[in-house]
Amino acid sequence: MTDFRVLLVDDETDFLETLVKRLAKRNLDVAGVESGESALAALEATPVDVVVLDVRLPGIDGVETLRRIKQTSPLIEVILLTGHANMEVAVEGMELGAFDYLIKPVDIDDLLYKMQDAYKKKAIQEEKIRQMQKKNLGA
Amino acid sequence: MIRFFRNFFSRETPPAEDAQTAEALRVAFQDRYHRFKRLLSANNDALETMADIQAALAGTFPFSMAFVRSRCTRTSTKVFQIVQQINELAPGKYTALFDRFKEIQMAINPHVWPKQTPKTGPLVLPLDRIDASKADQVGSKMANIGEMANRIGLKTPPGFAVTAAGYWEFMAHNDLQPEIDRRIQAADPEHLDELYALSADIQQMIMNAEIPPELGRQIAEHHRRLADFEGQTFSVAMRSSALGEDLAGATFAGQYRSELNVGADHIENAYRQIVASKYGLTAVSYRFSRGIRDEDVAMCVGCLKMIHAVSGGVAYSRDPVDFRRQVVLVHSAWGLPKSVVDGATDPDHFILSRDPSPKIQHREIAEKPQKLVCYEEEGVCRLDTVGDESRLPSLTDGQASALAALAIRLEEYYGLAQDIEWAISEKEEIFVLQCRPLQQQEFEGRQPVPDEPDTEGPLLLSGGRTAARGAAAGPVYVARKNIDAFRFPDGAILVVEQALPQWAPLLSRAAAVVSEHGSMVGHLANVAREFGVPAIFGVRQATGLPPAETVTVDADRSRIYRGRIESVLHNRPPPRNLMAGSPVYEALRGAAELIVPLNLLDPDAPSFKAEQCRTFHDITRFCHEKAVAEMFRFGRDHHFPERSSKQLMGEVPMNWYVLNLDDGFQKESEGPTVPLSDITSIPMLALWEGITAAPWEGPPPVDGKGMMSVLFQATTNQDLVLGRKTRFSTRNYFMISKNYCSLSSRFGFHFATVEALVSERTRENYISFQFKGGAADLDRRHRRVRFVGAILEDYGFRVEIKEDALSARLEGRGQSFMEHRLKILGYLIIHTRQLDMIMANPASVSFYKNKIEDNLNRLFPLEAEASEEISAASE
Repeated sequence: MTDFRVLLVDDETDFLETLVKRLAKRNLDVAGVESGESALAALEATPVDVVVLDVRLPGIDGVETLRRIKQTSPLIEVILLTGHANMEVAVEGMELGAFDYLIKPVDIDDLLYKMQDAYKKKAIQEEKIRQMQKKNLGA
Repeated sequence: MIRFFRNFFSRETPPAEDAQTAEALRVAFQDRYHRFKRLLSANNDALETMADIQAALAGTFPFSMAFVRSRCTRTSTKVFQIVQQINELAPGKYTALFDRFKEIQMAINPHVWPKQTPKTGPLVLPLDRIDASKADQVGSKMANIGEMANRIGLKTPPGFAVTAAGYWEFMAHNDLQPEIDRRIQAADPEHLDELYALSADIQQMIMNAEIPPELGRQIAEHHRRLADFEGQTFSVAMRSSALGEDLAGATFAGQYRSELNVGADHIENAYRQIVASKYGLTAVSYRFSRGIRDEDVAMCVGCLKMIHAVSGGVAYSRDPVDFRRQVVLVHSAWGLPKSVVDGATDPDHFILSRDPSPKIQHREIAEKPQKLVCYEEEGVCRLDTVGDESRLPSLTDGQASALAALAIRLEEYYGLAQDIEWAISEKEEIFVLQCRPLQQQEFEGRQPVPDEPDTEGPLLLSGGRTAARGAAAGPVYVARKNIDAFRFPDGAILVVEQALPQWAPLLSRAAAVVSEHGSMVGHLANVAREFGVPAIFGVRQATGLPPAETVTVDADRSRIYRGRIESVLHNRPPPRNLMAGSPVYEALRGAAELIVPLNLLDPDAPSFKAEQCRTFHDITRFCHEKAVAEMFRFGRDHHFPERSSKQLMGEVPMNWYVLNLDDGFQKESEGPTVPLSDITSIPMLALWEGITAAPWEGPPPVDGKGMMSVLFQATTNQDLVLGRKTRFSTRNYFMISKNYCSLSSRFGFHFATVEALVSERTRENYISFQFKGGAADLDRRHRRVRFVGAILEDYGFRVEIKEDALSARLEGRGQSFMEHRLKILGYLIIHTRQLDMIMANPASVSFYKNKIEDNLNRLFPLEAEASEEISAASE
């Protein structure tokens, strides 16, 4: 299950480039940007299924970016990935609807599993909505 | 299909809507199953992280605050997810858990993120305003120099200190700390190469940082005041004086940089260099090994007028490897004392009596081919000694005696043995450059007897001096270049030419250290004593020891033998637990008390409530129990035949029921039964193979007492009364999907639950097993769980036993490994029932243990699994 689109957001250029390359090798449709603002712009242009989002970013930070993504596209699943382990930010992120909060360094397989699980959740939610719409139409 | 739905739902309903509702229900089930799976996955991660925390608290390996923070945050994140998922599975039922979660998290916070004390005060303090009471502003090194200058009346160079407030100002001005913390979080401190890159990066960041203008102005101002007269040119020595060095037993020897003979133009650069050395490899790995928090270390910097030393060195007011000896040790070399402290050269060595005017008892004058001196303008260099100088003593007897008297005086003043760095100027004045408590090596071995004849074994080398006591054996590893450090094997004997401080990061992994040059007063010797690593310094031709060959180092008698000599190794010091009691350790211990203990043990107890959760572990336990129940309940409440439990069909219907959560059946089953051949659940099939591998022989023959015990229990335990509806189901339930299986079973008086996730995601795989109850008295039941626990431990399970309840876990292994262990569990569930009755005497316990182990080996041989794992690894 790798046929879904992913956007990576991280201001650490080396980390971002390496991760995009490694995930692309695993047949993932993946793009990377370096700030919250460019992430929001990218999502407007091309919607994706899963966003992997660094918490500490220049400009609007990861938590704020998450808040805005969830406002405009609540079905997109967001995984927070951070080098600053922080319990309060983790809980805030989860409360805002993040799928998970991972701490660097993260094993690439673990990250891939998380993205697959996040995509699965999105697919189920979309299916639920389709069912509800069908039911409403039928009624 | 459609026909079925028409039958199941009301006949009046149009078929299209039937199918639609069924489809919606199927999606609802899928959604719930997915949430349940996320809860299980978070539960598994939380338990694994708790196991990590417990392992760290055993104190056998070092860990950092980054470890503490990441583990606490990970547990917290996972527990919060669990709370979110259970509230999705059962809306409104468990909202109290959010409050419990927040309260526990608030209590953990201060352990992991302690409040920082305000960092105010002067940025720079002149030496004449410094004494011991200022240690929290200028660091203990500068505070001691101030104390000696202003309270004891000793001669020290004039100078000033850039304070801790100055340091925090510098770091804050450049916003360095968050970025440094992030990099530390992302690196693995166990890998020296990663640590090396990390250290280099951070130091570079600090070197590129700007000195805040006000700090720069004050440094320049205080520097100007050091001139004896207007327009004098002079140079200074800049030395680290870190805060947070007051940890008991920690020496912090030689970790940070000193910059000698610095001219006025380069003061700011030297300041950055010394601040950067807080993140030098030696310092980072030392703090890691000793459990010291980075944020407790503020790098204060002392700036003292440079003394152009004729000779310099170190005086110890005691012998660090034997405090009982009534002697003072003085080590001395030509030029600056740095070469003695660094362990690069062999200094002259004087042993003096502890008299009011100390007498020389022993004198060893070393060959000193070089000396370290100041360049005229700036910097230092090594010069060849000329003529007789190399063989002449670098101290007169009078100077040696004066230094020994000084050492005794300082020991008396501070009430502790002292380690003193000194220099003698061109005007033959003695300057004290540093003074700190001398660490005694805690060691209860036999007394060294250097001249004892050699009967222990084949001697390879002897000579040199004991720098740290003890004995050890290991393979020889000769390190010549920096890069050799990366390949240093754990437990090897480190052999080096010079006893330089740069080798200190290897000491936490070395069995012993041997060097050709250097002395017991150098930094490396200090660290060796602190870490309890036996060390001999000054062994001629040590680097000629055969690489990779095992040798035994007897540091007490300065001898090295070929092979392992057990009679020498008796004298091995016990491994030191450097973490216990350290700030990092205490931070984790404090947090762990709110994370790890499990108070909610019995799901049937009235106290098994959300409000009663006192730790994160309680929350996970509570939620897991309730989640499994919710999954059952949902299947039961929605009369949806596809998702109601089915009776398992072998050749005949059996007393086993299966609930398919998602993709556990080959095809959806409409009727009340499911044939075994339709089951696709990997973990269930493995478990089932174990359950059915051999027929149960029935209850073992019971002695009279065992039967009495059962009868007695039956009268007191209502659950055992036949025909009475008890709170326990008498059926065995499987809840399955293709990769998941949960079994709750009751066999007679025994309750067992198995939960397993087995898929190609090796890292997520786990088996959890719980086992409780029995008919016999508590004693026999205890013996039985210990009996089962011992077998499970042999198979790699982590076993915990509380009273008569056993829980066992296994994680992160490949599919074939997990399947094998599930077969073992299946077998044990069937064949250990009622064994509690025969648990009266040790002989029958061991009889049954052997019997069961023989059967397990026969039915599920390990070889097959082992070869599979090997072939998988070689692919």
